[in-house]
Amino acid sequence: MEVEHTLRRKWVGIVSRSHANRRSFNYFLFTLPALLLYLGFFIYPSILGVLYSLTDWDGLSKSYHFIGLDNYFAVFKDVRFGQALIFTFKYTIIAVILKIALALGLALLLNGNIKFRGFMRSVYFFPAVLSLITVGLIFNQIFYTILPKIGEQLGIEVLSKNILGDPDTAIFGLIIVNVWSGIAVPMVIFLAGLSSVPNDLHEAATIDGANSLQRFFSITLPFLIPMLNVNLVLSIKGGLTVFDSIVAMTQGGPGTATESIAYLIYAHGMNEFKFGYATAESIFIFIMIAFISFLQLKWLNKKEVGQL
Amino acid sequence: MKAKPAAQAFRYSILALGMIIIMIPMYLTITLAFKTTEESTKSFFSLPSSLYMGNIMTVIKKAGFWTYFQNSVVITIISLLLIMILVPMVSFAISRNFQKPYYKFIYYLMLAGIFVPFQVIMLPILQYTSDLNLMNHAGMIIMYVTLSLTEGIFLCVGFLKNIQFELDEASTIDGCNIWQTFTKIIFPLMTPITLTIVTLNSLWIWNDFVLPLILLNRSADVWTLPLFIYNFQSEYSFDYNLAFAGFFLTMLPIILLYGYMQRFLISGLTEGALK
Repeated sequence: MEVEHTLRRKWVGIVSRSHANRRSFNYFLFTLPALLLYLGFFIYPSILGVLYSLTDWDGLSKSYHFIGLDNYFAVFKDVRFGQALIFTFKYTIIAVILKIALALGLALLLNGNIKFRGFMRSVYFFPAVLSLITVGLIFNQIFYTILPKIGEQLGIEVLSKNILGDPDTAIFGLIIVNVWSGIAVPMVIFLAGLSSVPNDLHEAATIDGANSLQRFFSITLPFLIPMLNVNLVLSIKGGLTVFDSIVAMTQGGPGTATESIAYLIYAHGMNEFKFGYATAESIFIFIMIAFISFLQLKWLNKKEVGQL
Repeated sequence: MKAKPAAQAFRYSILALGMIIIMIPMYLTITLAFKTTEESTKSFFSLPSSLYMGNIMTVIKKAGFWTYFQNSVVITIISLLLIMILVPMVSFAISRNFQKPYYKFIYYLMLAGIFVPFQVIMLPILQYTSDLNLMNHAGMIIMYVTLSLTEGIFLCVGFLKNIQFELDEASTIDGCNIWQTFTKIIFPLMTPITLTIVTLNSLWIWNDFVLPLILLNRSADVWTLPLFIYNFQSEYSFDYNLAFAGFFLTMLPIILLYGYMQRFLISGLTEGALK
């Protein structure tokens, strides 16, 4: 009797344990497709990238040599890379400030009770659904053919020159296009944040005699800090890897005036047969972006702990 | 709170100005697509006197617009279907086993993708996919699903924290295995976040230019729409009416879809952003 009981308890234990094992094995199966894809097509190519960056490979020939860190030293000495770095930072700073400021302004204007709110939101969001390559090509045609002809007809000197044809102004052509198409998403994120600001706080502050500027800085803005962080992270990463609009509009030119780092990597790796060298450049921008994202996340966490 | 009339007028005029700035390039694209060259040299901004279909027909017939449209549709839809199954699945397993080291590890491993810009793998996957014979639509789909994992898992695991574990346990007691618990209970509850992920990824995949440029630029019949319009423009840039007809046709599917789904689209993005 006693023996039988122990046996049965043991049996139940085995059954439920094998049941639990099967459960955890099934959970493991759930992760498998995603994990295999991620290891095979993200982690492995990243490791390959690091390896290639240590070689003199041109991307075509059958053999290549490991040359240690030579590519990295060469990148540091490369004037063209330095220029691309300066261009990328200049572009990022101007584009991020314009995007965030305009997106915030528009979100504030579109928030609350206004007429045609749904319609206006749809129009303002519209650029976000278009591909940047198409938008870039459209603006390219506008800058190249339409604006100069209008400038001629009206006799306006400034318009009659193609903004993309001058090394000093081409960057602003790119910024115009990216701001035109890149405001919508941060604007929607700000709108989402604005809808979380409690209305009674505003009313209480109005009763206490705060003007609209004071209300904005002491009530609205603190509620928007998380959205501001998200938008900063997204648009800084977008700015540092700017590529599509450059391919569509300037091809890095005139000369090398609008070569961003991402464009330079593409040009070196695909067209100029400096494959190993280009991967070293890509590792460089990886370190740069990882460092900047790390700083942002740290700052963001601090803000959240410190209650805005 | 009643705002002053002057302030309101200011607000509406700024908003109207902004809308004009957004609409002008669109207006030019649509009207120039239907004009002959002679007509558009006279005035860029006039409405077309008649709907001249020559440009549009050239893009459709000579340039093979339909093929590229179909390529884009196939790649986008298959990628989205895989994403909306795989991402919730792995997120479910991670969120229900987060105390175990394996699941914690793969979660952080996949989140680490946030720090890696696409440029790092751009050149390696060029070599890698050509070795594996994946410079085709299958390779594109594999890459899109892979690249969607980081953001998707981040959003889904965050969402799943708010779905109580008691639901899983109750369904287990009722005799459901994990697959049934997932398909019958958890997956339906994840609809809002799945829709957000599908929205974000559909915009990205449909409009993406870099990946087709790397993987598909070798043979014209596999191009997607963004790659087509880029190559079309470099071939026909001398005839800008034709170029604008190409831009117009490339944008037309998304314009129609947007007209139909815009409210849902904006709310889908907003919900994702709030999480």
